[in-house]
Amino acid sequence: MSRSLWRSLHYSAKRRLAAPPTPYRCFSCSLRAQDQPRKDGQTTHFGFKDVPEAQKESMVGAVFSSVASSYDTMNDLMSLGIHRLWKDHFVRSLNPGSAPPSRDTDSTGKGWNILDIAGGTGDIAFRMLDHATNINHDLNTRVTISDINPDMLAEGKKRSIDTPYYNTNRLSFMEANAQTMPSIPDNSVDLYTVVFGIRNFTDKQAALNEAFRVLKPGGVFACMEFSKVDNELFNAVYKRWSFSAIPLIGHLVAGDRDSYQYLVESIEQFPSQEEFRGMIQKAGFMIPGRGFENLTGGIAAIHKGIKPIS
Amino acid sequence: MAQPFLLSLPRRGLTSSCRRLSLTSPSRTIASCSRFTPARPQHHYQPRQRQQPQPLQRNYHSENHPSKSPQENEYSNSQLTILSAALAHVPRHGFSRDALILGARDSGFLDVSVQLLPRGEFDLVLFWLASRRGLLRDVAEKLKGKEMGVEKKVRCLVMERLRMNEMVKTEWQGALALMSLAGNIPLSLSELHALSSDILNLAGDTSVDASWYTKRMSVAAIYASAEVYMTRDQSPNLAETEEFVSRRFEDNAAIGEKLSSAKQCLGFMGSTAVGLGRSWGWKI
Repeated sequence: MSRSLWRSLHYSAKRRLAAPPTPYRCFSCSLRAQDQPRKDGQTTHFGFKDVPEAQKESMVGAVFSSVASSYDTMNDLMSLGIHRLWKDHFVRSLNPGSAPPSRDTDSTGKGWNILDIAGGTGDIAFRMLDHATNINHDLNTRVTISDINPDMLAEGKKRSIDTPYYNTNRLSFMEANAQTMPSIPDNSVDLYTVVFGIRNFTDKQAALNEAFRVLKPGGVFACMEFSKVDNELFNAVYKRWSFSAIPLIGHLVAGDRDSYQYLVESIEQFPSQEEFRGMIQKAGFMIPGRGFENLTGGIAAIHKGIKPIS
Repeated sequence: MAQPFLLSLPRRGLTSSCRRLSLTSPSRTIASCSRFTPARPQHHYQPRQRQQPQPLQRNYHSENHPSKSPQENEYSNSQLTILSAALAHVPRHGFSRDALILGARDSGFLDVSVQLLPRGEFDLVLFWLASRRGLLRDVAEKLKGKEMGVEKKVRCLVMERLRMNEMVKTEWQGALALMSLAGNIPLSLSELHALSSDILNLAGDTSVDASWYTKRMSVAAIYASAEVYMTRDQSPNLAETEEFVSRRFEDNAAIGEKLSSAKQCLGFMGSTAVGLGRSWGWKI
C-alpha cells in the first residue's frame, strides 16, 4: 500500500519535472523572468526551476528514489570512475580514527563519533570505517549514516551486509532531515561529513547551522560537492559533457532522463567555492587556510570548517 | 539596450567587450542546445564583480614601510595553540601527524581538529622554522654590544640557529625529507631565503649591489649543508658541526677571493687589449 503511494508520488513528481520547455527563448527572456513576481522565502531552486519550498523535498526524494538502485553504475559512467578517487582522497585527508599514541592517553571516550549526512548508500561511511580499522587500528570509531530518503538508506543497508560492520554498534542508520535533527544532542559529534548531498538541501544555511550545533567544540565539518571549474577552456568541455552526455547516459542506462537532467542543473545552481566558504563561515565555523581544495580543476571541491573551542 | 552604450564607447573598449562576448559564448550555446533547459536562473547573467582595488604594493624594499608577511604563513590563534603544543611532542614523535594530534589534545581540541592545518605535518615543520627564525632576533640583540665584524656575526648567528635544532636533532632528517617533497620545495626554499636574509640583516650587512644576492646564496648554502651534517654529528656540544661551519666559511672566503682575483685579472686583460688596439690605430 505504502509502496503504491510512493510510486504515485514519484510519478507525479516526475511529471512535474518534465514540464514542456520554453520553445524559443531570446535574450530578453532573462529580463522577462526578472519581471515575474518572486515571493522570497517561499520558493527555492529545483534544477533551473523555481518551486515552492514545501515541494522541493518530495521532488528531490522522487529523483533519488528512482536513481538509488543504479547509483554506483551511473556515478562510474558519469564521472569516468573519478568519483572513487575523490572519495578515497576525501577520506584519506580526514584520517578518521584515533591514532595509537593519542589513544593511550585517551580518557574522553574511545574512537570518533562520525555523522555521515546524505550518505544513504554508505559509500563514504564504509571507506571511513575501513580507514579507521586498517590504517589507525581503531576498532571503536563509529559512523551514523543519515539520509532523508528511505530508498537510498535501504540500498546502504543492503550493501552493509557485505561489510564486517554489519550488525555491529559501529554502524547505524537514521532517517532524518539534515536541517533539523532533534534526535542528535548538542556537542556530540567529532566529524560531520556530507558528500555530494548538500546541493539538494532546501535550506543549506539551516543545515550548516544544525551541523554547528551537533558538532563538539573542535569538531570538523567536511563537505565534498560539485563546484565551479576555474579554467575557461576546460569548463566548456565539462559543460558540454554534463549537459549533453549525462542526461543521455541516464536515459540509456537508468531509463530516467529527467532525474539526471535535474542532477546537472542542480550542480550548475550550487554556489561557487568562495560563496559556499562564506556560508560555512556564517554558520560560525573557523576556516583552515584557503578553506577549500579543488579536485580535477574545480569540478568538485572539498570544504572544511572547524567549530571553535569557546 | 546595450547597443547605444556600446556605440558610445571608444574603439578599444568595443573590441575588448567583443572579445569577452566570444569567450562566454560556448557555455551559452551549450546551455541553449539542451532541450529540457527551462527558464534560466536570474543570477546567471550577473556581471563579473570588479576586483577590489588592491592596497598599494611596493616592488622595492623600504625600511619605513615594512611589508606585511605573506598571507600563507599567517596562522590563526587556534592554529598557533595547536602548533606550539605539538612542538613539545616533536622530540619523541618527530615531525608527524601523531605529534600534531597530541598537541591538539593537550590544548583542548579533538583528534579531528588537526584539520585546521591544511598542510598537516609540513605546517609543523614550517612553524618550527619560522618561530626559531624569530628567536634569532634576541640573539642578535645580545651581540649588539660586542665589537664584531659582519662576517663574524654571521658565523655566530648561523651557529646559534643550528644550536636551536639540537633539541630535535634526531628527528631532523624526517623534517628535511618532508621539506624536499616536490610540493613543499617552494615554501622550504623561501623559508631558507628568509633565514639567510634575516641573518645578514641582523648581522648588519648593508650591501645593495650584486653581492646582496651572492651573500644570501652563500649563507643559505652553508646553513643548509651544516644542517644535514648536524644530523650525523655525535660530538658533545656540536663541536664537529662548529668546525664544519668554520671550514665552510673559509671555503667561502677563498672562493670569493679567487673570484675577485679572476675578475681583476679579466679587467686588467681587457683594458690591456683596449690599449693595445688603440696603439694599433683602432678607433675604440
